[in-house]
Amino acid sequence: MREFKNKINSLIIKSVALTGIIALILIFGFVIRESIPALKEAGMEIFTSFDWYPTYDPPSFGILTMLINSILLTIFSSLIVLPLGYIVAFFMYDYAKNFEKRMIKGAIDLLSGVPSVIIGMFLIIYVSPWMLEIGAWSPENILLASIGLTILSLPYTASLMEEAMSSIDKSLKEGALALGTTRFTAGFKVVSKAALPGIFNAIILTINRIIGETMVVLMAAGGANMLPLSILDPIRPLTAAIASEMGEVEIGSIHYSALFVSGLVLLTISFILTLTSKRLSRRWSK
Amino acid sequence: MKKVLLVIVLMSIMVISFSAKLVIKGSNTIFPIAQLWIEELKKEKPDLEITLEGAGSSTGIAALFNGTTDIANASRFLKEKEIKKMNEEGKYFAPIVIAYDGIAIIVNPKLGINDISLETLKGIYTGKLRTWNQVSPNLPKKRIVIYSRNTASGTFETFEKKVLKEARMAPTVKMVESTQFEIDQVARNPYAIAYVGVGYVNNSVKVLKVEGVEPTKLNVLKATYPISRPLYMFIDVSNGWPETGIIKEYITFGLSKKGQELAEKAGYIAAYGF
Repeated sequence: MREFKNKINSLIIKSVALTGIIALILIFGFVIRESIPALKEAGMEIFTSFDWYPTYDPPSFGILTMLINSILLTIFSSLIVLPLGYIVAFFMYDYAKNFEKRMIKGAIDLLSGVPSVIIGMFLIIYVSPWMLEIGAWSPENILLASIGLTILSLPYTASLMEEAMSSIDKSLKEGALALGTTRFTAGFKVVSKAALPGIFNAIILTINRIIGETMVVLMAAGGANMLPLSILDPIRPLTAAIASEMGEVEIGSIHYSALFVSGLVLLTISFILTLTSKRLSRRWSK
Repeated sequence: MKKVLLVIVLMSIMVISFSAKLVIKGSNTIFPIAQLWIEELKKEKPDLEITLEGAGSSTGIAALFNGTTDIANASRFLKEKEIKKMNEEGKYFAPIVIAYDGIAIIVNPKLGINDISLETLKGIYTGKLRTWNQVSPNLPKKRIVIYSRNTASGTFETFEKKVLKEARMAPTVKMVESTQFEIDQVARNPYAIAYVGVGYVNNSVKVLKVEGVEPTKLNVLKATYPISRPLYMFIDVSNGWPETGIIKEYITFGLSKKGQELAEKAGYIAAYGF
């Protein structure tokens, strides 16, 4: 009887796991299939042209500007989020008292539950007028979107990094302290170094999350398909373009297919990021 | 518990299989009109089953081609390639004008400008005029913040055709999803400009005259206001005009006095009569 139950259980678990894998393959297959018409029709122009005029006659389907915008925004936001996240994690791991740690954890959990559309609304209503005062010509811009992305991904980054540091054996830190290092050196040089694979993993996952975030960039990035010269210029990342146009596009047209190509590009980027993270953390942990 | 689940499943199957007698898809612009019509129709006949989806004019017409909708709302006429496709497939879509819409050019009330020419408007949207003092010397030397609806909207297509005349919009134009957002941003930013359907305009923004003509009801209806357009409903009449049935009923109601009053209530201009 127990044997039988075990079998049933493992079957259920296996089938659920398999569903996940199949879903991933199907998503890839679906996105690729829908991208083919645009890739055939427009060819390399999609990746080399800066012009995105899908409804004009003749149309042009260049996603390069939006791709560059996506990457720039991700880099800029990561530069804010990652150090901040590390500082928060470091504080939680090493300096916070139990009570403080619980407080921060609670705040982080609450913050990570805020829907991105609420963050977008908040930015538009309360923060964007302030952008005009500091001299931006456009109230929605890279900076505004970055603020939103920071609020959105900081809890995630901090808790992942804290987890990575907590998973390091206590004896390592205690040994370092016993040898006479300061608390800061023990945490920063010894524990953080030991936790590097985990921290690196957190970094990649955060970048992955930022590049795929849609609602905040749709609302706060400005929607202009231009190459920015300063952080106060409006931009339009790939995810925003997909979200904005997918709803109204004629299904089956080249425009529709070109949006799928953008999706494919994003999917590929995130796939590569995840693979690198896996590979690097494996190499380190050896 | 199992019984409850079973009942829920059965009920949802029933709902799915018996609903959607009349399917309407298309333009976001027409959505408010269609919604009012359906509400009013339902008051008289509560058992009426109508689904309404506002996704964009092109989507509606594409749905009419593959038969997944009965009525396609469109804020523009058929494109050349759609007419060609219609002929190739041996179909015939009948256009019905249901209301008129004018595209109002809005700016912040603080900006000292009341009138704009089509040429200037084109200059702004194609990026030739970058600051307000290039538009008129007495305006501040501030960069123009330009808003537009995104490319798939019918309002965009009308604006593109009537103002830009095939020229490309500058990349610095900010493409946004909703008309309300445009209005809010223009109300907040003294150097912003946007175009919206006249029905959406409220007191927080200033409506400009275009070529000296105000977008009033009469001016839009007579098309003396240069950026105005008819709004359509397309039905598939390849097998003849629907002489009875729910499609006919819906059209008749829409074109009735009551239906046209509702179109005005939604913020547009009645298609029939002054």
